[in-house]
Amino acid sequence: MATIEQSLDEPVRAARERPRVVVETRGLRKTYFGKVDVPVLFGIDIKIHAEEFVAVIGQSGSGKSTLLNILGALDTPTEGTVLINGVDISTLEDNEMAQLRNDEIGFIFQFHYLLEEFTCLENALMPLTIRDGEVSDADTQHVIRLLERVGLGTQLSKRPDEMSGGQNQRCAIVRALANRPKIVLADEPTGNLDSRSGEEVFALMREMNRESGVAFIMITHDDRLAQEADRIILIEDGLTHEISKEEHRKRVASLTTD
Amino acid sequence: MNTLLRILVPRRIRFEVQVAVRHLLSGGGQTLLTVSAVAAGVIIVIFITSLIFGLQERLTELLTDAIPHVTVTVEETEPRPLSKVAPSPGDLSSTEIEQQAPQLKFIDNYPAVADTIRRLPNVREVAPVVTGQAFVSKGANPVGVAVVGADPELQDRITPVTKDLIAGKFIGLGSDEIVIDGELAKDLDVSNGERVRVTSGTGASESFTIAGIYSRGQGRGSAYVTLRTGQSLFGLGTKVNAVYVKLIDIYDADAAADRIMALVPYEAKSWTREFPQFLSSLQVQTASAYLISGFSLVASGFAIAAVLIVSVLQKSKQIGILKSMGARRRQILTVFIFEGLGVAVIGSAVGAMLGSVIVILLSLFKQPVTRVGQAPEQLFPVRIIPFYIAIAILAAILSTVLAAVLPARRAARMNPVDVMR
Repeated sequence: MATIEQSLDEPVRAARERPRVVVETRGLRKTYFGKVDVPVLFGIDIKIHAEEFVAVIGQSGSGKSTLLNILGALDTPTEGTVLINGVDISTLEDNEMAQLRNDEIGFIFQFHYLLEEFTCLENALMPLTIRDGEVSDADTQHVIRLLERVGLGTQLSKRPDEMSGGQNQRCAIVRALANRPKIVLADEPTGNLDSRSGEEVFALMREMNRESGVAFIMITHDDRLAQEADRIILIEDGLTHEISKEEHRKRVASLTTD
Repeated sequence: MNTLLRILVPRRIRFEVQVAVRHLLSGGGQTLLTVSAVAAGVIIVIFITSLIFGLQERLTELLTDAIPHVTVTVEETEPRPLSKVAPSPGDLSSTEIEQQAPQLKFIDNYPAVADTIRRLPNVREVAPVVTGQAFVSKGANPVGVAVVGADPELQDRITPVTKDLIAGKFIGLGSDEIVIDGELAKDLDVSNGERVRVTSGTGASESFTIAGIYSRGQGRGSAYVTLRTGQSLFGLGTKVNAVYVKLIDIYDADAAADRIMALVPYEAKSWTREFPQFLSSLQVQTASAYLISGFSLVASGFAIAAVLIVSVLQKSKQIGILKSMGARRRQILTVFIFEGLGVAVIGSAVGAMLGSVIVILLSLFKQPVTRVGQAPEQLFPVRIIPFYIAIAILAAILSTVLAAVLPARRAARMNPVDVMR
């Protein structure tokens, strides 16, 4: 008996010690075909582990958003594979893809993209409504608690146009977390906010990441926020470079002194 | 609202219905515009079909009201060369068979013939009549006229006289009374109550009191006397020389005539054979009525679709957002089907009601009266035809839902980022 328990425990313990990979790309390429073909990504190999908070930085047009959209199955790569929780998403049917987005991934965009016809609470519940048709009381309570955590406890029945930009973005964060996803992909979530709201929103994301263990991949132009992440990935000339915070600080310093 | 949703809508499609209803309710001006587009489309189709088919009905009435649908007479032997005549057993021969004078032919057992015809399908009215040519004179100038001798009540149901009377009476006509056309009265310079002399083609001459003057506005019409008077005027004794038949379905006249000929030994001529030009003008009218209605249906369908497509395209971004949250393609399509249905049902209901009201209001306009004693007719001969209202509603719903679903389907197929940009 004891040996069986030991053998079962072994991989579990190993997994706890080294968080598993939630997102992985192999040789990812993306070219936009048009009058002129524009290659954007030239072979990206990255691994993101559970519980990590990863900042993705790079020049405008360097392909950060393209990468993020491909990771979230919102866009398809020209070449290469994306594994989410070990599943190659190119093998998925349309409905399986939808289910993957619903179960495993949360999105936060530069614009909150809340549905303007729905209240703050209804928007935050939307992924659950899509999944279940009707949201259970337990799930509703969970989402209300999250909204209270981000300071929207009194705004539950407000519509997006009745709330501030920061409030909307916080609501969008809760919406991204409502389904308890494994990964949250955030495309410049603070890009459209003043610096104070931006910092608040970022702090909340970091807190959620630490509390629930959701992996965050965040594109940002804000170097101070990048410094707060666990890892920094720089995209340059269609390729990714993992850089240390030290290197990042130097880069920032050299750019500002130029 | 949410409790209502919970009671009415099965859980499987509750998300879809919720989003569709919310779109419509918070759409404001946009929803109003699309609903109005559908309503306008339905109104136009209802209006055009009721006008065009009303016109069609009026024209049919006008053309076929004043004629019997089937006329039963003794077969007229057409003149034909001797070579075509079968040789008779005797030595008798003639070079030609002459066309007989109409007054000389008669149907002697007409009550039995009328009864037989009356029992046939699609027959509305049967009237035995005496017809013939005569001269009517007041003083010295005789004027030729067709005389019809018939029971006034039956006659009114075949080619109505009473409704066109401008003076006097027709029902209850006495044996020495006559009803004449207004044109004839003018030519003879006589008025109601005066006496005229009628001399028939057979030479009989009688004096009549003018009991009524009518006008159909279609040139000089016949003079009417009672059946008994007609018989004596044309020397037919107790016989008649024609039986007029009015049908329920006027377009069945050929078949009805054939059925009559199979049962009685006389010739039955349908109005379509007797007046082919009436038939062809009615057919042209019918064909254009269908064509115009069809085009109005297609045109309003496209107008509805154009407005709908724009409003759905504006929601492309939202489709991307919903998809990024894991909404399936089917779910998104269902949202827009429900939305389209909502717009279509409300819009076509409003359109059907307003369209009917407009048609009813139009039917109240009357033509200015041109003849004395004439009941004023509708200026717009509109008819509300439930069948075409149903067609208009169905077409509107179909084009609305298609116009809502096709662009949504396109958006739902694309990568979410492509529509969110």
